[in-house]
Amino acid sequence: MGNTGHGETFLFWVGSIISILGALGLIFSKKIVHAALCLCTVMLCLAFFYMAQGAVFLGVVQIVVYTGAVMMLFLFVLMLIGIESQDSLVETIRGQRWLAVPFVLAFGFVLIGVYAHANLPEFVGTDAANAKGGGNVQSLALLLFSRYFWAFEVSSAVLITSATGAMVLTHRERTVPRKSQREISIERFERWGKGEKVSLTGLPNPGVYAQHNAVDTPALLPDGSPSEASVNATLRGRDTVRGFRPLPLPGARRNGAAVASRGDAGNEEVSQ
Amino acid sequence: MTPSYAPVAATGTFALTAWVILLPLAGAAILLIGGRRTNRWGHLLGCAAAIGSFVLGAVLFFALLAKPGAQRSYDQHVYTWIPVPGFTADVGFHLDQLSIVFVLLITGVGSLIHIYSVAYMEHDENRRKFFCYLNLFLAAMLVLVLADNYLLLYAGWEGVGLASYLLIGFWQHKPSAAVAAKKAFIVNRVGDVGLSIAVMLMYTTFGSFAFGPVLNGASSAKVGTMTAIGLLLLLGACGKSAQFPLQSWLLDAMEGPTPVSALIHAATMVTAGVYLIVRSNAIFDVSPNARLVVTIIGAITLMFGAIIGCAKDDIKKALAGSTMSQIGYMILAAGLGPIGYVFAIMHLITHGFFKAGLFLGAGSVMHGMNDDVNMRHYGALRKFMPWTYVTFGLGYLAIIGVPPFSGYWSKDKIIEAAFAQGGTSGWILGCAALLGALVTAFYMTRVVLMTFFGQKRWVPDAEGHEPHPHESPWIMVVPMVVLAVGSVAAGFLFSYHNAFVNWLSPVTGFSEGHSPINTAVLQVVTLVVVALGIGYAYLGYGLQQAPSTPPLGSFATRAARQDLYGDAFNELVFMRGGQYLTRVLVYFDMKGVDGVVNGVSAGLGGSSGRLRKLQSGFVRSYALSMFGGATLLIVALLLVRG
Amino acid sequence: MSILAASSTTATFVAPHVEFGKLSPMLIAFGTATLGILVEAFAPRKQRYGIQVGLALVGIAASFAAVLALAGTTASVVAQGSVAVDGTTLFLQGTILVISFVAFLVIAERKTDQNQDAFAAQGASVPGSAAERETTRRGWQTTEVYPLLMFSVGGMLLFPAANDLLTMFVALEALSLPLYLVCGLARHRRLLSQEAALKYFLLGAFSSAFFLYGAAMLYGYAGSVNLAVIAQHVAHPTAGSTLLYTGVALLGMGLLFKVGAAPFHMWTPDVYQGAPTPVTGFMAAATKIAAFGALVRVLDVGLGVNSAENVWRPVMQAVAIITMIVGGVLALTQRDIKRMLAYSAILNAGYLLIGVTSTTAQARAAVLFYLPVYGVAIIGAFAVVTLVRDAGGEATDLSRWAGLGRRAPIPAALLAVFLLAFAGIPFTSIFIGKFAIFQAALAAGSPDLVIVAVLASALAAFFYLRVVVVMFFSDPLPQGPTIAHPSIAVKTALAVAAFATVALGVAPSLLLHLANNSAGILAK
Repeated sequence: MGNTGHGETFLFWVGSIISILGALGLIFSKKIVHAALCLCTVMLCLAFFYMAQGAVFLGVVQIVVYTGAVMMLFLFVLMLIGIESQDSLVETIRGQRWLAVPFVLAFGFVLIGVYAHANLPEFVGTDAANAKGGGNVQSLALLLFSRYFWAFEVSSAVLITSATGAMVLTHRERTVPRKSQREISIERFERWGKGEKVSLTGLPNPGVYAQHNAVDTPALLPDGSPSEASVNATLRGRDTVRGFRPLPLPGARRNGAAVASRGDAGNEEVSQ
Repeated sequence: MTPSYAPVAATGTFALTAWVILLPLAGAAILLIGGRRTNRWGHLLGCAAAIGSFVLGAVLFFALLAKPGAQRSYDQHVYTWIPVPGFTADVGFHLDQLSIVFVLLITGVGSLIHIYSVAYMEHDENRRKFFCYLNLFLAAMLVLVLADNYLLLYAGWEGVGLASYLLIGFWQHKPSAAVAAKKAFIVNRVGDVGLSIAVMLMYTTFGSFAFGPVLNGASSAKVGTMTAIGLLLLLGACGKSAQFPLQSWLLDAMEGPTPVSALIHAATMVTAGVYLIVRSNAIFDVSPNARLVVTIIGAITLMFGAIIGCAKDDIKKALAGSTMSQIGYMILAAGLGPIGYVFAIMHLITHGFFKAGLFLGAGSVMHGMNDDVNMRHYGALRKFMPWTYVTFGLGYLAIIGVPPFSGYWSKDKIIEAAFAQGGTSGWILGCAALLGALVTAFYMTRVVLMTFFGQKRWVPDAEGHEPHPHESPWIMVVPMVVLAVGSVAAGFLFSYHNAFVNWLSPVTGFSEGHSPINTAVLQVVTLVVVALGIGYAYLGYGLQQAPSTPPLGSFATRAARQDLYGDAFNELVFMRGGQYLTRVLVYFDMKGVDGVVNGVSAGLGGSSGRLRKLQSGFVRSYALSMFGGATLLIVALLLVRG
Repeated sequence: MSILAASSTTATFVAPHVEFGKLSPMLIAFGTATLGILVEAFAPRKQRYGIQVGLALVGIAASFAAVLALAGTTASVVAQGSVAVDGTTLFLQGTILVISFVAFLVIAERKTDQNQDAFAAQGASVPGSAAERETTRRGWQTTEVYPLLMFSVGGMLLFPAANDLLTMFVALEALSLPLYLVCGLARHRRLLSQEAALKYFLLGAFSSAFFLYGAAMLYGYAGSVNLAVIAQHVAHPTAGSTLLYTGVALLGMGLLFKVGAAPFHMWTPDVYQGAPTPVTGFMAAATKIAAFGALVRVLDVGLGVNSAENVWRPVMQAVAIITMIVGGVLALTQRDIKRMLAYSAILNAGYLLIGVTSTTAQARAAVLFYLPVYGVAIIGAFAVVTLVRDAGGEATDLSRWAGLGRRAPIPAALLAVFLLAFAGIPFTSIFIGKFAIFQAALAAGSPDLVIVAVLASALAAFFYLRVVVVMFFSDPLPQGPTIAHPSIAVKTALAVAAFATVALGVAPSLLLHLANNSAGILAK
């Protein structure tokens, strides 16, 4: 103990304040991109701490893997979903927040108390630990490949599981080969020839309103009524076409939220 | 003298003991699992299992016979059921003179009745199931009598209860059968509770269920505890053996097929109570008070059953009353202590023969009479069913105690022993036993006269079929003949050179009773009493025709027809009484008893409903609860640490 | 000295000694799973199902053979101190493998549902979409389920054997991750299933975080994650115990979540209801065994010192009591049979916790006995649930089960056997299990727990018997559910489960002795 330099102390206090602010921002920011950026801040601060404590390798890994790879993946996903989209932040469970606050405070106080009372054994220090293997990376490698080789091996099982799981949950195999534009065209004319009611010229494009510019916005016919054909059939099926019904009030439960509650209380509603 | 219980490990031939049980058990299992596939040969398998079991029993008997008297006690430890430290429950079998007698009775009479049932149940589509239940019963009953500890005995006890329930309700399409089965089950429950508490008391007193520690330790235990255990055992015996005041189910149990009545409700299962008391002789030896209660119960029941037997027109119910009464004799004898134990068992065995024979005879008569059970519709059957008539007649002579038939040897000894009890109680018990003999002679003569003599009073059955009485097929006759031979000869064989006394006394102990009346005089008196009974019945039913419809009869007759108001008593005391008690309790404490019962259930339901609200289905509320739980865990651990 | 520069005294790397023999059960399981992934990549679609099922069953059997071969070997800590292979480990591993084998027989069932198993034709297709219908019509199957579940089995084998907290954590993830995935792959009611999977995943991740936090604190306390080292520090404290017990609380929460103890139980009913029923059976049985194994190891090896026991015992006893009350009371008002069985699983977790808190070898033996008998029965119960079907999958609402005993006597009778066993009727295996646990708790001097447990059992008897009454004593519905005719595999599984439930109630001594002999040996 006591070998913490002044510079490190200063870095710690500055970094920890930034880090905690970042963490709070992550939770309370309404825009999801802001939350992601706050998370980046937290992770960078952590990386600084690691480095300041002599765990350079860990610090670099923290930046490369978390701030670099994982956060970028997050942001990609956010871009794909749409930066605009955001979850409703209205709490629907009665008492949830009022209960959460005391629990969080209690947990925080307990932990502060715990650390205040924690009576830690003498630290060995990173330098001493590093000396064993002849360097930080070497020491880590030594531990990883000898002492903890089994955990290391078994984590491969976790990784394979994750990869397979991601495939299972997202990869959609086509049941039929994709039709080319030519084939679609030929088919359309064949059906028209049989007297079916198909649009030979293709369906109208989605509409462009002043407010919205998206595929769920129907085009308007000359008489001002929306053209149902201009919106993708899936969206029509899901009833998420704009303009067919009044715009939803902000904060109302989204479609499909009814599925989300299936606890005992939900069970009760269903069964009675 | 109190016999000591010191079995040695069963080896060699004696290791076959478990197989005696396994055979019928396997039979029942195969018939149950095989289902309809075994319909064609199921009954044969059932018979084979019973006969095989009997052969094994016979082998064991002769092996025991070859050993000297003191070495006829073997214990076969099969396995330890619950080997938890601090509590062991074993499964083991105990073979000695007492249990082998029961094994032979159960498997012997059982085999005969299996064979009889092949023909009797021939037209029943569920015959396979019937044999499955019969085998199950045999296995359970054998467990009961071969168990080497009270816990296993209790298992067998419940097993025979189950088999009895299934068989009484075998024709469950008849509402009366279903009700009778339920009644038997419920009344037996009362007795079972007594037995189970007795077994628990034994465990707390002796720290073991095994016969060894319990029976050997009884003499040094507290008398009060032994009296309590004894009375609780008696309660169990009353339930199973249809003794006063738990007798009411036996008459209704006659709804079962007649072979069942013969095997379970006459020869074997209902005698389990006698076995229980005699097996626990060490406990009763310590407590004269418990013994006194046993004798009183026995005396009451023997009169009770006999009186009911006098008034019943249903041949099976008349015989059932008689069963009750005869078991009353056995219980009475068992309560007399070492002077009576042996005779209780002896009467049990001879009764097994003649009562099973009588029931099979009754079944044979019903078989010929379109399943009519009303004796007022019989008459003059001796010419049409000669084999049945002869075998039934031999059984009749045995039960009323005409020398040299077997009932004479056993019942006479009980009457003697009752007088030998000495004192006022000896006189009262002796006179009750004598009076019982008189009534027995009366109602049995009545049964025989109404069934086989007089004129035809046959009536067509509900569908208008005239009865055409005929002798039953040979497969039914043979068992009846075998049992008749037993009814004739068993008593004499047992009494020859005191064979039975010598055989059993190492287990039960025996002391010669000294009757205040000269034995010869007593025998003469008994015979005179029996003759009086016969004569009175002859006056009533031999000289004049019994009317086809029952006359109103005296008050006593009407009471007896109503099972001496046993059911009415139950209803009045237990049901009505319970109702009044409830009302009174409600009156005095509207919120008390009711409130507690309803409160508990409503409270549980309500709290369940409230707790369910927490289970909202939202992850964030679950997470909050986990978070709170974690906080509480930390706080709790730190607080406990201090 | 720069921390980045390699010093002149570079230590030479010595390859660790790997005890392949002692690790073989886990190696076989993980190897089979990996092989399954390769099969998935290379085998043609039509043959995948057969190969995967065969591979998984052979793998489990081989792994079990490895456990048998290891039986009786001296207890030792292998893999550089990461894995303890001792009597308890081997008993639990053997149990998990037997249970998994039976569970896989049910999971692989295709005959009950128009030649398709219980899993979505394609996990990625949107519920109710044309793609879903098309893939279903073509008879596609998510055969990835089998290698995934094999990974889970591997993780379960490691979980109770893990001798340091790091390995334990990796094992926890290895066993949980595949389950999260598979829970979301039900063929019918897919939204419910996906919802259940997401809930399970989120809450599981939440509890894993607590587990890690606790492990970190214990590392701070003892300077090691090794349970034996922690035990040494607990026995001869060099620092105050604040960190120790905070760490234990957080670590314990992670483990109690897995066993389904209150107040960390709330995922159980939702996940059990939503997951494909055969998987629910597998989870309810095998996960519970693995998690209790890990709990026993942490508490008896890491904290098995008297001074520590006196601290955590009362707290765990309180958890046991709350768990029993919550499980018993909430089960009363359930109308869905899967939810009812889920609450019953919580209740049984409470009974098992009684055994765990008693800390004697006798109690440990009782827990070891209880786990397999309960596991086999619960798999059997869920297997029966898969047979009672409506148009939209299984008919799990209790009202639909009315009169089932008359329409389908054999499945109803089997379920009755399992329910009577849960209710603790004598001559069933769970009666003996309960008896052993209660007896051990009495011997360990906690009659209060036994009283609560007996009261909870009485309560439980009510809702178990209610199902029996509904099945046998009410009139069948005019348009009741259909009863599927299962394949020989499921019949075998059901027969094994019912036989074990009855046979281990009549003659439990063999397994009790085995549990007794295994429980005494904990490698430290």
